[in-house]
Amino acid sequence: MNAWLSEQAAMHAWAIATAAVVSSGCALVGTLLVVRRMSLLGDAISHAVLPGIVVAVLAGGRPGGMLVLVAAVVTALLTVWLTQALKSRAGLAEDAAAGVVFTTLFAAGVVLVTAAAARIDLDPSCVLHGILELVPFDTVRLGGFEVPRAFVTAAAVFGLLLAAAILTWKEQLATAFDPAAARAAGIPVGLVTTGLLAATALATVASFEAVGAILVVAMLVVPAATAELLVHRLPWMALVAVIVAVFAACAGYLAAWWFNTSAAGMMAVVLGLEYFAAAVLAPSDGVLSRAVARLWLAWRVTCEDCLAAVWRSEELAADGRAEAPTAVSLWQSVAFRWLAASGQLVGAQGAWRLSTRGRVEAETVVRSHRLWEAWLGRHTELPLDHLHPPAEWIEHHLGATVRKRIEAEVGVQESDPHGRSIPPERK
Amino acid sequence: MTSLAGIPYNTLVVAAGVAAVGFAAGVIGSLGVLRKRALAGDAAAHATLVGVAAAFLVTGRRDLPVLLLGALVAAVASLGVLVLIRRFTRTRDDAATAIVLGVSFGLGITLLSGITARGIPGGGGLEQFLLGHTAALTAADAGLLAAVSAAAVLLVWLGLKEAVLVAFDPDFAAALGWPVTVIDYALVALVAVMVVVGLPAAGAVLVTALVVIPPVAARQWTDRAGTMLLLAGLIGLVSAVAGVAASAVVPRLATGPTIVLMAAAIFALSLLLAPGRRRGA
Amino acid sequence: MERVTRTSGPGSDSGPALEFHDVTVAYGRRPVLWNIDLVIEAPGLFGIIGPNGAGKSTLLKAALGLVPLAGGSVRFFGRPLDEVRRRIGYVPQRETVDWDFPVSVMDVVLMGTYARLGWFRRPGSGERALANACLDRVGLADVADRQIGRLSGGQQQRVFLARALAQQADLYFLDEPLAGVDARSQEQIFRVLAELRAAGKLVVVVHHDLRTAAEWFDAVALVDMRLVAAGPTAAVLTPENLRRTYAGPLDVLDELGRAIEQGRRTP
Repeated sequence: MNAWLSEQAAMHAWAIATAAVVSSGCALVGTLLVVRRMSLLGDAISHAVLPGIVVAVLAGGRPGGMLVLVAAVVTALLTVWLTQALKSRAGLAEDAAAGVVFTTLFAAGVVLVTAAAARIDLDPSCVLHGILELVPFDTVRLGGFEVPRAFVTAAAVFGLLLAAAILTWKEQLATAFDPAAARAAGIPVGLVTTGLLAATALATVASFEAVGAILVVAMLVVPAATAELLVHRLPWMALVAVIVAVFAACAGYLAAWWFNTSAAGMMAVVLGLEYFAAAVLAPSDGVLSRAVARLWLAWRVTCEDCLAAVWRSEELAADGRAEAPTAVSLWQSVAFRWLAASGQLVGAQGAWRLSTRGRVEAETVVRSHRLWEAWLGRHTELPLDHLHPPAEWIEHHLGATVRKRIEAEVGVQESDPHGRSIPPERK
Repeated sequence: MTSLAGIPYNTLVVAAGVAAVGFAAGVIGSLGVLRKRALAGDAAAHATLVGVAAAFLVTGRRDLPVLLLGALVAAVASLGVLVLIRRFTRTRDDAATAIVLGVSFGLGITLLSGITARGIPGGGGLEQFLLGHTAALTAADAGLLAAVSAAAVLLVWLGLKEAVLVAFDPDFAAALGWPVTVIDYALVALVAVMVVVGLPAAGAVLVTALVVIPPVAARQWTDRAGTMLLLAGLIGLVSAVAGVAASAVVPRLATGPTIVLMAAAIFALSLLLAPGRRRGA
Repeated sequence: MERVTRTSGPGSDSGPALEFHDVTVAYGRRPVLWNIDLVIEAPGLFGIIGPNGAGKSTLLKAALGLVPLAGGSVRFFGRPLDEVRRRIGYVPQRETVDWDFPVSVMDVVLMGTYARLGWFRRPGSGERALANACLDRVGLADVADRQIGRLSGGQQQRVFLARALAQQADLYFLDEPLAGVDARSQEQIFRVLAELRAAGKLVVVVHHDLRTAAEWFDAVALVDMRLVAAGPTAAVLTPENLRRTYAGPLDVLDELGRAIEQGRRTP
């Protein structure tokens, strides 16, 4: 019983390990595909390698064997070449050309599989979504251990991809960033791109048994797209993509086992959840953090407007034209109360006065406003009566350095274009 | 009457229904290709699988209208997700499409496998929506497909002027005050509908070909948008009928791949035979 | 401050043909045009001049509602855009469309009649006669049935102009109509534009060539992310104004643009 259990555990472990290695390879290649905007090509290649694989298997190659790998790479390059040819010779747009080529090749592959189903060990549904659960049953002896054949293939391909990525990193980076400049710098851009396409084919074919032709698309693109939301530099992106992929492999397999369903399908679902989580929670680009940042900006603008309003009313009061500022919205009345609580305003509703600290803040805002109006008056053809509105939202974005630069340009002035005084720099 | 020249009546009706789908897909696909959105329906196509499986799970029925309604909901939802990704993240369009396509297909496979593993009665046949299989369609199913296709073609005929202008020069159309975004959404929604009605014949994986290959084949023969739409419809029709015929003759052959290969053959012939369309080339 | 002032245009319009009131345009959140304030009266040939990336085309697109305004307003004949759209003709930049598109020259010119036709109605013989007349005015009557991709660049630009003529507008916007156009087409285009002016229309042209600008336009505006100067051509195209326009973007605007985009303060 115990032996049976541990054998079961070993089976699952091998399946998970295979899935992890397979998707790591895809994530690595996918990182470059995503930053080079070649996701579509990854999609096309993953479909299109099917006929190559089938022909190689019909010719006596073993799934995962050398013949099949080579055939897949050749078909991938053929796909890209055909797509390019349709673009330049038949005048098709890139996506239409790719659409024609990959659907046709995939259809040919399916017809071949169906026709030869009696002779080869591939069935149409395996082609579509793989059977990760069966991977541990087909083993080879390696150093005295029974190791799943798919794992050996996947590990070898991953090793190859990793080595290639490390060796050609500089070239890949340069080509991805600016192909024209890379070409000018003597980097063989065409060769680098061809290498990437071949790598895509290798990663795809190594994943074929485990996840099938279509789910490979998710393995290629989603980890990289997730990583892109989280980090901003390519090496980190590749690393994060691999981590995302490995997590999806483990969690997806276990969830599939728990729910008794397709492991490959569940891996794609977990990848989708990871992407969603990153899109919402990413520290700087996430939906949530951007919403918080926008809210914070709105709050800061409101507080500054309130302080400036009190300052202006005090300025008017000095001319004997007193006009007490009042909150016109709930948002503003909350701001007034907070400013009083934090010691920037003193007094009471309807008769707010600035504290020393509040005065510094308020004068900074008013100074920004009036300096900006002076600057606009100098640089644009804008009539005086039009000056006011734009300055309303610019004033909240001016910092001390740029204020100094503006002051230097318009000259230290006593007053703005409306003839009102510009407060001195207080911070 | 149960047969005509040895072909069962039902097969004839199904062939006619699928032919209508092929025609409509060619017409609407042409607008997609002209608007440079050839693959707009691909993500939606892969997502239909989720809808088919969910509709089956919710209703417990395998009637085609129910399943296709589920597919349509899923297709539209996937397009909605694409819009959200574009609006709220910095993921680029190509990656966004691949994400929606791959993840929704994964979810579909997860549901299908779950249904199969639990041996839910009638669930086994759902796999036919992967690659298309017309043998099981009834005359009523074919009638539904034909009716939706006819309605779609009618809509295009009505709005042809608007669709062509938006495809050719969206800035000019917007300057006229036209709601270009709404027209674009309508076009993508029509493509999604075609993808859904094309599902029984061509399958989720290959149905995209139905809205891509006939239009680009037709484009080789003509320089006029109207003619292109009509020709694409005819090419789609011929391909669809050929697919149905082939899978009626060869028992285990799925219809989808056959339809695609037929359309591809017509495209290849068009490239070779059409009077040199390309300027300078 | 120089302003373009002319006698009032035709009809019962309550304001100048075109009026930008403190217009700011942003892509995303980042402003690319700051506080444009400009009044242009009909009739006339008006040039919008400035360096590459100055926002000239953006100004046209903002006027036409193709890009949203972040601030300010645009009025035509004293009215908002939605009330006067049919009186506005538009010639977009030639590169913005796919010339391989399967339409004939006649098809494209007929597009100019679409706004009057309304939804779902097809052009009839009246529209065809109008389109033919417009093609004749730009000297392309003999190529009406040709696919648009088979024309030269200059001919393509004239097709676009014919389409705008078919709009029978009172105010025309042309975006770089002379970019990549042969001398003969240039001359023909300007002859047609002069005819429009003679008929009391206002023609606003985004243009980048200073030499031809001085020759052709009655009045110009110099734009580089903001309006540098506007008025009669001779008064505006002074060495000092040109230096201010072409001196490169102002780094204060650059810094501020980035700060606004990221919702923070500048240094």
